Amino acid sequence: MLNQKMTRIAALESRPRIVQNRAFVSTVAVLLFLILWETAPRMHWIDGTYTSEPSRVVMASLEIVRGGDLLRDVSLSLWEFTWGIVLAVLVGVPIGLLLGTFQTLRHLLDPPVMALYATPQLALLPIFVVWLGIGVGSKVAVVFAGAVIPIIVNSIAGVREVDRSLVLAARSFCAKQRDVFMKVIFPASLPAVTIGIRLGISRGVLGVIVAEMYVSQSGVGNEIMKYGSAFRVDYLLFYVMLVSVFGFTATTAVRAIEERLRK
Amino acid sequence: MTRTFRQSAPVALGIVSFVIIFAIWELLVRVGWVNPFFTSQPSAIAAALGQQMQSGELLRNFLVSIREFAMGFGAAVVVGLVLGVVAGWYRTFEYILDPFLWFLYSAPLIAFYPIFVIRLGLGSGTVIAISFLLSVTPIAVNTLTGMKNINTGLILAAKSFGAHPHDLLWKVALPASVPMIVAGLRLGIGRALTGVVIAELFVSSAGLGYSISYNGQLLKTTNMFASLVVIVALGVACTQALSALEARFDSWRTGPGV
Repeated sequence: MLNQKMTRIAALESRPRIVQNRAFVSTVAVLLFLILWETAPRMHWIDGTYTSEPSRVVMASLEIVRGGDLLRDVSLSLWEFTWGIVLAVLVGVPIGLLLGTFQTLRHLLDPPVMALYATPQLALLPIFVVWLGIGVGSKVAVVFAGAVIPIIVNSIAGVREVDRSLVLAARSFCAKQRDVFMKVIFPASLPAVTIGIRLGISRGVLGVIVAEMYVSQSGVGNEIMKYGSAFRVDYLLFYVMLVSVFGFTATTAVRAIEERLRK
Repeated sequence: MTRTFRQSAPVALGIVSFVIIFAIWELLVRVGWVNPFFTSQPSAIAAALGQQMQSGELLRNFLVSIREFAMGFGAAVVVGLVLGVVAGWYRTFEYILDPFLWFLYSAPLIAFYPIFVIRLGLGSGTVIAISFLLSVTPIAVNTLTGMKNINTGLILAAKSFGAHPHDLLWKVALPASVPMIVAGLRLGIGRALTGVVIAELFVSSAGLGYSISYNGQLLKTTNMFASLVVIVALGVACTQALSALEARFDSWRTGPGV
């Protein structure tokens, strides 16, 4: 059996067409899941109070969209998220490029950076709340803290992976130190920098939601907390999917930029 | 002499850097430029750690968190590896799994904690479940990618020397995927720790994340930083352990181009 499969891996083209159609198989799987999810509570296989049903999620979504508070919550969360990410890029990229370029500085600051990299930055959330209060400040800080570390780490890696021969070639044509940095090292490390930004974005999305769930007065995370504690799973799922789609779209967009930069 | 200096220089500079950070921190507080109510100070944090160690509070919180982490991450490793290997072997299964993995990966799963609490209670069970769900996806996805990208030359070579399917899996496919799998485990460790900490912020009465949150509500910054130091140490220890594991299982790879 396995032997057969290995032969297929070796000769991919021999597989049946329908199995190779990724979109078809995935769509069928999701549809089957939705049907099962819709019928299971109706047949009393599971308790619908805690799982809701797709039809109720759709109804809840329409109600939320008509309600009018959605725009306020989304724009607040988006505002906090954007500030955190922008600050993280403005601070993280220069630090990363500097640490990548100067070895002694890197040896000096690498251990604390790596220690923070290995730590869940969301552990800082209660500290930020003590420092900055329950408003926008603590959310921006959490997004910033979550995003800045991967941006620094990947920017360092970007500079270090720049092809040395490019630098040597520029030097042998008498390029100044500043030109070597601005015209060779910086552009060549951009793809790695964008990887850092992409990781930062996915951490930032989780960060802003967790921070709003932890303590806040409005925002998407606040709504999630409200409907979660009330066991309104249908409303809860709408907001969860909203966040998922946003995170997926944002990271896909950055990935597209990344691929363009590599060319 | 020069050589040993060069090798030990990064380590020495690393120690120096922590010493400098703690010294500046302590100094700023002592001179009075920074209010210790907000930032605490290293000497007070060290004292708090010593006192928590004596009272057993530190060990208790640490054991609760490490147990939740070990169970969540352990289950994620088993499930993630199995899912990844099966999906890497059978393409149809990969296509079926794909949309669900995508949703699990990008959804803020902590949002579902009230539902977990109903089933698993207000404590370790829920924390383990969230830690598991957060860390299982990167492990499964990386294992799958590793299996998919095996050099077919390796497989054909093994087959032409009469390898059994069993051998192909254990002696070719899995060893060849080690770097991708380890990268997945590395992401998984980070997300499992994150899962434990954030779940403890919401649903727990013990553990390091709970301790940070609890002391935060009492505005006891020194105790918050003490627990944070333990979390940082735990994160670093896990990452180091994984590097050792990687060296052990990837030792057959002698050079580029394999």
